[in-house]
Amino acid sequence: MNLHFICNGQAVQIDVEPNARAIDVLRDVLGLTGTKEGCGRGECGACTVLLDGKPVNSCMVLAGKLEGRTVLTIEGVAGADGSLHPIQEAFLDVGAVQCGFCTPGMVLSTKALLDENDSPTIDEIEDALSGNLCRCTGYGKIVDGVLEASERLAQGTQEHGAKP
Amino acid sequence: MNYLKPSTVEEATELLGSSQGMILAGGTDACVYMAEGFCDPETLIDIGAIDSLRGIETQPSDDGDVLWIGACTTISEIEASEALPRALRQGAHAIGSPQIRNLGTIGGNICNASPCGDTLAPLLSLEARFVLRSATGTRTVESADFFTGPKQTVLQAGELLECIDLPIDSCEWISAFRMIGNRNGQAISQVNAAVSTKLEGGVIQAMRAAVGSVAPVPLRLPQLEGALVGKTLQSVQWADLKAPIMAEIRPIDDVRSTATYRQELAVTLIFDALMDCARQDESARKGADT
Repeated sequence: MNLHFICNGQAVQIDVEPNARAIDVLRDVLGLTGTKEGCGRGECGACTVLLDGKPVNSCMVLAGKLEGRTVLTIEGVAGADGSLHPIQEAFLDVGAVQCGFCTPGMVLSTKALLDENDSPTIDEIEDALSGNLCRCTGYGKIVDGVLEASERLAQGTQEHGAKP
Repeated sequence: MNYLKPSTVEEATELLGSSQGMILAGGTDACVYMAEGFCDPETLIDIGAIDSLRGIETQPSDDGDVLWIGACTTISEIEASEALPRALRQGAHAIGSPQIRNLGTIGGNICNASPCGDTLAPLLSLEARFVLRSATGTRTVESADFFTGPKQTVLQAGELLECIDLPIDSCEWISAFRMIGNRNGQAISQVNAAVSTKLEGGVIQAMRAAVGSVAPVPLRLPQLEGALVGKTLQSVQWADLKAPIMAEIRPIDDVRSTATYRQELAVTLIFDALMDCARQDESARKGADT
């Protein structure tokens, strides 16, 4: 089928099998290999992308469901000039990354959380990340990274005067 | 594989009647089945983009007002809706992860008919009714009559679940849900339980209880309901619940748990849910006093 959607701010038009998985479309057709496949069964969250701003497992979305919708992958989180997003910087600074395989999904789940709730509690962070498995860090540093990111984003908006 | 994406329910039921395809809603169960090779449908009918199958609103019906829930309303939307009873919202929150809840639908959780589906015990305890639609008409089935076995329902070829009706008075009762899995996130229930209670001065005027994963289908517990009417919630003891619950459940040993553990859990989860109701009632009465 002829598929149209917005990916990382750009209009995409491609010809794919409608029952292809979104993760395969992103990785193999669009070359966006930052989205990782862990389990392929919706358990691990490594393939998390934001669909219309909400985190979903891209291994459980058929290509046909992308028609007319908006996808954000990890490649769209950093600035166009390659500058890291404050969430990515915070993760690096607190040591929330070890092997890095779960990190794209962790960053996107964090972004979805902080877009809706700019000062989450630890419980809210753990709930928001409950669909993302990490086999290296033990999660403590990742939660620290989210807290650090929320503080930096709050500071950033204060400095820019965007929010009261 | 043929992938069909109707934009209206009429179109969907016609396609279903003519193709005998498999309905795809959120896809969180279907994609696993396809990935595991459990099914390889020739035709998929994706009803996820039909606007009229989504939403939560009060509607008039022949038996009084109902809270109408479209079958393709996502689990996240159920969880977030303040219009819905607590038990159903808690059940929705217990499902999968945020990612799964953003994709999965309440209609999918119902039609997948797993005995451990976390919205099912809440729906039974709220006496929800399911509206089934085919190209030739609609029929309404009580939630307690819908499930016939693990992954088995009364849905006939050519029928799909269009919506869920919650009687409005049952939405005003105090309700709660509890489940236990191997961990908090992403866990499938070993047992789940929901109660909804009509209270006056703390006394149970009427109640409905339902449990999942302790029989081939989610079960109502009429013996327990009968035993508790007339008592105050505060006076209910764990030991009082055991006999009437044991009389009705039929748990088995399986990959997720054992029959013995499930028996204990069923009693404990019903008790916890009742205590949740007691706390809600207390804080509501305190609020009314001040």
